[in-house]
Amino acid sequence: MTRLLKILEYGLSSLARRKFKNFSIIAIYSFTIAALASILLLTHSLKEIAVNVLADGPDIVVQRLTGGRHDLIPANYTQGIEQLAGVGRVTPRIWGYYYDSLYQTNYTMLGVQQDMPQLEMVEGRMVVADGECTVGQGVATAQNAEIGNELLLINSAGIGSTCEITGMFKARSNLWTNDLILFTKDDLQRFFATPAGLATDITVEVFNPKEIPVVAQKIRQLFPDTRPVTINEILHTYESVFNWRSGMMLTIFASSLIAFSILAWDKATGISGEEKQEIGILKAIGWDTGDILALKFSEGSVISVTAFLLGIFFAYIHVFLLGAPLLVPVLKGWSVLFPPLHLVPYVNMYQIFTLGFLTIVPYMASTVIPSWKSAITDPESIMRG
Amino acid sequence: MPLIIKTEHVSKYYNRHKPDEVRALDDVSLTIAQGEALVLNGASGSGKTTLLSLIGCMARPTSGSVSIQDKEVSKLPERFLTDIRRQTFGFIFQQLNLIRNISVMENIQLPLYPSAIPMREMNRRAIEILTRLNILNKARMKVSALSGGEQQRVAIARALINQPQIIIADEPTAHLDSSLAAELLEILSELNRGGKTVVIATHDPYVSRHRLIDRIIRMRDGRIIGGSEP
Repeated sequence: MTRLLKILEYGLSSLARRKFKNFSIIAIYSFTIAALASILLLTHSLKEIAVNVLADGPDIVVQRLTGGRHDLIPANYTQGIEQLAGVGRVTPRIWGYYYDSLYQTNYTMLGVQQDMPQLEMVEGRMVVADGECTVGQGVATAQNAEIGNELLLINSAGIGSTCEITGMFKARSNLWTNDLILFTKDDLQRFFATPAGLATDITVEVFNPKEIPVVAQKIRQLFPDTRPVTINEILHTYESVFNWRSGMMLTIFASSLIAFSILAWDKATGISGEEKQEIGILKAIGWDTGDILALKFSEGSVISVTAFLLGIFFAYIHVFLLGAPLLVPVLKGWSVLFPPLHLVPYVNMYQIFTLGFLTIVPYMASTVIPSWKSAITDPESIMRG
Repeated sequence: MPLIIKTEHVSKYYNRHKPDEVRALDDVSLTIAQGEALVLNGASGSGKTTLLSLIGCMARPTSGSVSIQDKEVSKLPERFLTDIRRQTFGFIFQQLNLIRNISVMENIQLPLYPSAIPMREMNRRAIEILTRLNILNKARMKVSALSGGEQQRVAIARALINQPQIIIADEPTAHLDSSLAAELLEILSELNRGGKTVVIATHDPYVSRHRLIDRIIRMRDGRIIGGSEP
């Protein structure tokens, strides 16, 4: 133990001797790790938020398709669906999107319905009467609005209407409520000019989660013009979208990892004459190959683990404290129009360990192997100068 | 006096069975007694350094055997050779081979890092040797900041830190002026008087004639061609 500690001490002193070179490597290494870790942290956080949000959502959303496109659905379809075994509450929904050209943001508008999940409020109360609305924090921030203010909205026919803000949602389900404006159903039906007796879609509650696919199948048979979308399908879609986007980003940043590996390999294989001579001297005066490897291993470990931890730290700050400003435009896609989103810190340790394995091990190998090649040569060469 | 080093019919070839094969040593047999001070003398290419490498367990002979303290070492695995090198020999190289950008203290302690000797004992030994060689005041300085003579002393101190029984020096005066060379030989004399065996490879007549030396072995073309007292 004493022996290894002394070799480690000498390793640290060696690193300190080559300060500039080692700091440069740590800086590049940390940046690469931070970039890759940011993508993984952000993607995982978005997926977790989606899962949490959907946990409160309907088991099945029934949409109507006309000519292969989403169309308004007759509200009386609810009566047929309610008759199916295992089905609980069935609710027609009115909702849609609204683009605010003044603030260049996109909002989701939803009519209040009976089966809505309990949404916690920062302050105020839920909408109860026509002419009122409840908004997400992102909407309030974008509009610079407070409770009691009037929100001006202009529909697709160019007709303006106002609503009074009665409350503001809390951030727990930010991904869902951040851009949300809640109205009474009648208000929203008027705003979107949705014909009476029609709804945007229908939500269905199923008592036994295992029966969700069966109920969906039955709805499809009962109303062939509909497309029932189950909660699992929505989750799967979210996952696919984020995986695809993060995959694209990872592919791009993997090239920087490869570039870094080449740099590390070049640095390590091209160990300088000075380093080679040092290895020769150490061997000549009684260090064996194992001692040299322990020395180089300790040097490589200090650099790679320091850079890795710094990279993870910077990624955490970038994603969860700064809101991933460098990645959000790509990973959230069209959501550049969204009001700001506050990410909830979710860290997948498996991903972190995998990233550590894929970055630390290649660096260690590219540092230790060339030193080993140098260390197994006869120390006699050092006698000859 | 008991024998401490013995070589029997030792030959060393480089690039064996290749067009550029070199026969560096050819059937060399030699015995060195404990406490003896011996010079290997000869021109460049005579095989002095190769013989020192074999004696110092830095290389293995192509044929023949090398024994250190009655133990045949020429066929031992590398890790045993390293142990022998660390415990038995102190090396003073022609080029000094100090690590220039670390301190004098660290340079001197280098042979002891991969040992079980605690840091406190390493410091004690280093201070003792630096005091003996009169360079204690340079302990914290980088080697690159020292004069040639001071660097030479650091190299000697490093060779002594592991309390070796045999000191091997390859052309130790090659880069020294006459006063530094005299100083070095005085230090080696003192060590020899303390019971250390000293083996020096040199073609410097000043070294060969020094009162330190008990015996001179003359070499040419990889062979021993004679021996004499100085």
